[in-house]
Amino acid sequence: MDASVERVEEIFCAALEVKVPEERKAFLERACAGDSKLRAAVEKMLLSQTGVEKLFGGGSPARGLGRAMADEAGFREGVDSILSGEEEIGKRIGRYKLLQRIGEGGCGSVYMAEQEIPVRRRVALKVIKLGMDTKSVIARFEAERQALALMDHPNIARVLDAGATEAGRPYFVMELVRGVKITAYCDENHLPARQRLELFIQICSAIQHAHQKGVIHRDIKPSNILVTMHDGVPVPKVIDFGIAKATGGQLLTDKTLFTAYEQFIGTPAYMSPEQAEMSGLDVDTRSDIYSLGVLLYELLTGKTPFDQEELLQSGMVEMRRTLCEREPHRPSTKLDGLRAEELTQTALHRGSEPRKLKSLLTGELDWVVMKALEKDRSRRYQTANGLGTEIQRYLNNEPVVAGPPSRLYRFQKLVRRNKTVFAAVVAVSITLIAGLATSSWLFVREREARREQARLREEAEARAEIAQAAVLLARGKSQEADRLVDKIQIPVTEPSLEAAGVFRNLGDWNVTQGRWRQAADYFLKMVQANQVDKSDMTDGATRDLLWVGPTLIAVGDMDTYRRFVQGTIARFAGTTNPVAAEQLMKASLIVPADPATVNSLEPLAKVAEQSIAGGNPASSKDIYMFAWRAFALSLFEYRRGYVTNAVTWGQRSLGYSDRRPTCVAMSHLILAMAFWQAHQPDTARSELAQGRELVEPRFPNGLERIADLGNDASGYWNDWVMARILLAEATTLIEHRG
Amino acid sequence: MSEVTLILQAIGRGESCASEQLLPLVYDELRRLAAAQMARESAGHTLQPTALVHEAWLRLAGDGDVPWKDRAYFFSAAAQAMRRILIEHARRKSRLKYGGGQERLNIEEVDLANATPDEKILMVDAALEQLEAEQPERARIVALKYFGGMTNKEVAETLGIGERTVHRHWVCAKTWLFHKIHAQM
Repeated sequence: MDASVERVEEIFCAALEVKVPEERKAFLERACAGDSKLRAAVEKMLLSQTGVEKLFGGGSPARGLGRAMADEAGFREGVDSILSGEEEIGKRIGRYKLLQRIGEGGCGSVYMAEQEIPVRRRVALKVIKLGMDTKSVIARFEAERQALALMDHPNIARVLDAGATEAGRPYFVMELVRGVKITAYCDENHLPARQRLELFIQICSAIQHAHQKGVIHRDIKPSNILVTMHDGVPVPKVIDFGIAKATGGQLLTDKTLFTAYEQFIGTPAYMSPEQAEMSGLDVDTRSDIYSLGVLLYELLTGKTPFDQEELLQSGMVEMRRTLCEREPHRPSTKLDGLRAEELTQTALHRGSEPRKLKSLLTGELDWVVMKALEKDRSRRYQTANGLGTEIQRYLNNEPVVAGPPSRLYRFQKLVRRNKTVFAAVVAVSITLIAGLATSSWLFVREREARREQARLREEAEARAEIAQAAVLLARGKSQEADRLVDKIQIPVTEPSLEAAGVFRNLGDWNVTQGRWRQAADYFLKMVQANQVDKSDMTDGATRDLLWVGPTLIAVGDMDTYRRFVQGTIARFAGTTNPVAAEQLMKASLIVPADPATVNSLEPLAKVAEQSIAGGNPASSKDIYMFAWRAFALSLFEYRRGYVTNAVTWGQRSLGYSDRRPTCVAMSHLILAMAFWQAHQPDTARSELAQGRELVEPRFPNGLERIADLGNDASGYWNDWVMARILLAEATTLIEHRG
Repeated sequence: MSEVTLILQAIGRGESCASEQLLPLVYDELRRLAAAQMARESAGHTLQPTALVHEAWLRLAGDGDVPWKDRAYFFSAAAQAMRRILIEHARRKSRLKYGGGQERLNIEEVDLANATPDEKILMVDAALEQLEAEQPERARIVALKYFGGMTNKEVAETLGIGERTVHRHWVCAKTWLFHKIHAQM
């Protein structure tokens, strides 16, 4: 569309909105801004609107669709055939001769027919009402027929054949079952609950058989279960098997829901929630189990969980909602809802009286039925046999698996059952509270808001002060910085590298002052502040440990220390960085640890080991790190109790050409302990002496004050502290015990 | 996945024969649903076209995850099917008025002011064919609204465009069609 036409249309559309003629004129003048051609084009469009109105004013002709369709050739026929669905008696369909009509369902009529070839017998022939997709239905049924032919169960009426009539309607040939539907049979014969249950178990067995063959019935309901007599014994037979599946659900079966097409909906009362939902969720065998539950319900109480009529009349949306969300009454409770005569009648049909019947159903039978009727299919019985066996257990007076639901579950169901009520109560409460206390509510809210603001402000201030402290530290004014940060009460919640740096510096400074408690606090804060990247599993993160660990030990706060170690191990257990591994091992095992902790470090030990095995210390940097790793492994092995390994690794550590003095010292000390445990006291003492020689000069004032924080070459103070800890342990072991 | 969904995907990929397959499917389904509904309703033919189409959609494509673009093809096909039915019907009716043997309505013979609804449908249909050649996008909207009976909102949802855009196209198209028809008389 070229620009000018677009412009015309734009103005035209806008002008249409202006209803008052003078205003419209004014608008046009402004919009067209002197362009007379433009104006003419728009006005032409505007003028035609009366004509347009005449042409299109009648509304969409689509409303006449019904009339249009009605007049169409062949359409009437389709309607009529749907309405009547009658086949001629005496007519031949395939090799079957129709004898009489014996039933009528939503999806078709059932006839008794006679078969002559290859064998003479009477069969049931069901013709399906359908629209246009007959071919695909037949094709699908062919596929199903294989499975159906495999079914061989005394309680299943076999499907023998299938085909299509001349008119193109599919039909199914089934074993002729002469009987009445199960609910009718039970009621007519006043069958007590026990016998009904026995029949039910047989049905479960039949359904189980079918499921094992991969066939889902999908249409279980009383009219599909007929009871025939064999030698005076009632035998239930499930009919219409697999037909629904074969037609792929395209068939307007009794259970298929369709807006307003009520005549095609036979028994929604038996439909499982997932079938009602018709969502993408596939319907599996457990849908049949739900239907079995409904059947059981009806056999026991004479009613279905939800009233059929009510469902039909409520419309599709309501129907779906009821089936999917509303909780039905328990069978025993359902009886309470019946009118007196109805209740007496129901009890009579079960060879009992109202009170007895109710007490019979209360408890186990209730639970069994409700379990089969769970909306959530994973909570139902997962197999038909499961349900059948359960009933059998009940009959044998054995305990059943189903039980009353937990309180929480019941509460959930209660809410579900009374959703509207709950919602209403809540709504009312809100209104009440809101109405009564609007002013106070507002006040409270405001107070909350103010508090929140104050909190945020304080946090911001704290951050600013930390920044200031950083500046002070940079200028060497450690004491002032310390005083400043000490005042800050609010923990800085946001991790920040800057804050971490400040905290570490202050921690260090406090160490030099001998204020170990404060130092420990700062280091812990540092760790927190350093968690900028929680997924960071590199050695940068584990290095923090090496400050915190020794400090806590020096203070004597072993609880925090151990907790800290656990947390860090949990966090870094998966690291593949050998430096991180070594630091973690060192920090965690500098004091004796419990076996669980030691074991949890095993993967890290492996990492360290592999790096040594695979690595070729090229630069001097590498060499001293390898020395540390070897030490860490020695420490690990010692803590595990593998003394020989500890010795090997310790010696290896000393064997490297470039080592830090702290590393050397600690290696000697760990060797001292290892040799001692290996019953080599002289060597042990020698190692101890060497270690002591290196460590003691560092602590002229004991652990009171660290004068010198140390550096890379001479070793950092925390390493020396760790060495001192080891020294203490070794001394105790060798000199105070020996 | 349903047959219709596959066809819709094929159309989306640009396979030309796919659209030929879609129309008969939709057409059949609409007829079937209409027949079923009318079998129910004893009196009057109060079919709700959009409800019918939506039902056909649910039946044929299920509730699967079909992108808007592909859904649009379906609804366009439905509108097309309905158009055919309506046109057929209108032709039949007007043939009755003008005597047998006439295949196409001669527009010159029609007096716009006194045109019957059926004649109007035929005129709009003829003009729409021309619009399809020139502005297919706009013609699609017209088809959905005029033959499909959809509201602006429904059209907007189906085509994935804004409601105001629909309104604009509809209003301008009506005028265009009117002019086209008028010019030929």
